[in-house]
Amino acid sequence: MALIALHGLTKRYPGGVMALDGLTLELEPGIIGLVGANGAGKSTLLKILLGLLEPTSGSAEVLGIDVRGRGTTVRPHLGYMPESDCLPLDTSATDFVSHMARMSGLPGSAARERTAEVLRHVGLYEERYRAIGGYSTGMKQRVKLAQALVHDPRLLLLDEPTNGLDPAGRDEMLGLVRRTGTEFGIAVIVASHLLGEIERVCDFLVAIDAGHLLRAAPLGSFTERTGYLAVEVEEGAAALVDALAAKGLQPAVDGRTVVVPIEDDRPYDLVRDALADLGLPLVRLEQRRRGLEDLFADRPSDGTDGADGADRAGPASVGAAGSDVR
Amino acid sequence: MSLSSATGPGGRIYDLGYQRYGGPRLGRRAAATALFTQSLRTAFGIGRGGRAKIAPFALAGLAILPAILAVGIAALATQAGAGNVLDEASPVRYETYHGLTVTLLILFCAAQAPELFGRDQRYGVLSLYFSRAITRSDYAVARVAGLMAALLVVDLTPQVILFVGRVLVAADPITGLQNEIPNVPLFTAQALLTALLLGGLSSLIAAWTPRRAYATAGIIAAAIIPPVVVAIVDSMEVGDLASYLVLLSPGDVLDGANSWIFGALSQNPVIVRSDVPGPAYVAAALVGAAVMLALTVRRYQRVGA
Repeated sequence: MALIALHGLTKRYPGGVMALDGLTLELEPGIIGLVGANGAGKSTLLKILLGLLEPTSGSAEVLGIDVRGRGTTVRPHLGYMPESDCLPLDTSATDFVSHMARMSGLPGSAARERTAEVLRHVGLYEERYRAIGGYSTGMKQRVKLAQALVHDPRLLLLDEPTNGLDPAGRDEMLGLVRRTGTEFGIAVIVASHLLGEIERVCDFLVAIDAGHLLRAAPLGSFTERTGYLAVEVEEGAAALVDALAAKGLQPAVDGRTVVVPIEDDRPYDLVRDALADLGLPLVRLEQRRRGLEDLFADRPSDGTDGADGADRAGPASVGAAGSDVR
Repeated sequence: MSLSSATGPGGRIYDLGYQRYGGPRLGRRAAATALFTQSLRTAFGIGRGGRAKIAPFALAGLAILPAILAVGIAALATQAGAGNVLDEASPVRYETYHGLTVTLLILFCAAQAPELFGRDQRYGVLSLYFSRAITRSDYAVARVAGLMAALLVVDLTPQVILFVGRVLVAADPITGLQNEIPNVPLFTAQALLTALLLGGLSSLIAAWTPRRAYATAGIIAAAIIPPVVVAIVDSMEVGDLASYLVLLSPGDVLDGANSWIFGALSQNPVIVRSDVPGPAYVAAALVGAAVMLALTVRRYQRVGA
């Protein structure tokens, strides 16, 4: 039985916005990344799977059950972590998560036990008795994950789980997601526009753009292609391009950064020599994986995805496709 | 992270990590029932901080106070041999109690309905409810029923105190019981109508108005303005049909129902002058409550989550 089966799933919002356009797809259990730019239809798809939104046409089956007619049968086995703020700030994490467990049909005593367990699992200890309003963003994200896990779902739907987290918080959240998916056999769908994060936790990737399916395949087949070498210089980018082009490479310039496709080991030496010969002030030299974001735009992998560029700065934030450099 | 194990002076702490749940899953009905219970508790601020309890308990206390005073005074008067005289003169009776408490009940709604309906919308929690075992309608019905049940508690408790007190104060408790029992269905019916209509009205307003202050103001306005309009129209003596306008004013409807149920003369001049038959008030209260419940459910079908 497929985890999820979509047949011609279409969602048109009032006002004519086409969020999903004839999506047909079958997914097997695992950790599945759902990638796409903001507005690609990721959240809409998750909400349809949960029965929060009605599709305009087409059908969606989750765990073998059509969500449209029998949502109350399937939803107790789903866990949902929305992208938006969804926590009552005047309530403690314990009270809230345990109430949510009961809303999934757990008896009162089981709800309390599971709450204690799952809050510990996500790393919330003494603070769980305090009102959520006083929590940091990272703690709030953990509460959101805890309420999605408390009833032990068979499928976890996470919408941008690392939103608003600092790099350390992102690592922890991604580690939690990875462990939840691998150690406990819960199928996970992670929606994100941050490709670098997705590829760290997922086995399978679904890429959508403007409501269309671009590709659905195991992660490996997305990233096996070779990448780019990005060379950032303080000045003289044009001279570097000329020098590299003369050596037979196809460099592209993007501001102060020169991007060189890597087919083999040759470009590394050529770039080093060219820099030394020209005496250019080198700022940064990094490898960028090609592939994931090339799915969405025909542009060189420039590392700043616009949408996530604002909250990423400095060498530790090489951008969506560059996280493998760290 | 939580997978670590730590050694301390008391021994080792093992983190077993995530555990699967193999226990019972009770499903939709149990979840909806749990939401109803939680709503009833929230209406009194139970399970919330201490400050959340101030308004509901103060208002409930004020609603009960006249009954306690009346029973206490009646007990003293009976001992002094003036029981019968006082009983006839007392302004605190089953049939007058609605008039004594209706304002407090409206304030209770104004204070607590936004707690039940506004918070989840303001904090964006609805998406978490609607992605669980319950449906949108289950959510709406459980919340409305919780508020109605809370109102019933506030409304019925003083009447029950009055009833028990009057039985105990009577010269002969058996005769007292026989005398008082016929009143039980009457005040229960009136309390039910009040809880249903005021609960339905304030649920609808609070569900449409996530902002707390606006919801509170809206509920008070919805309770105060219609009787004023009805009184003005009534004073213009425009005709028979206009007198049925009273059925659109929740406060007047409850007054009229109370007067008919107890067979007592109403203190409300509009009711006294109106030629609307008594059962029409009861029907109006029931229909009004049903319509407002339906509109609240409809609201939750459409609200974004």
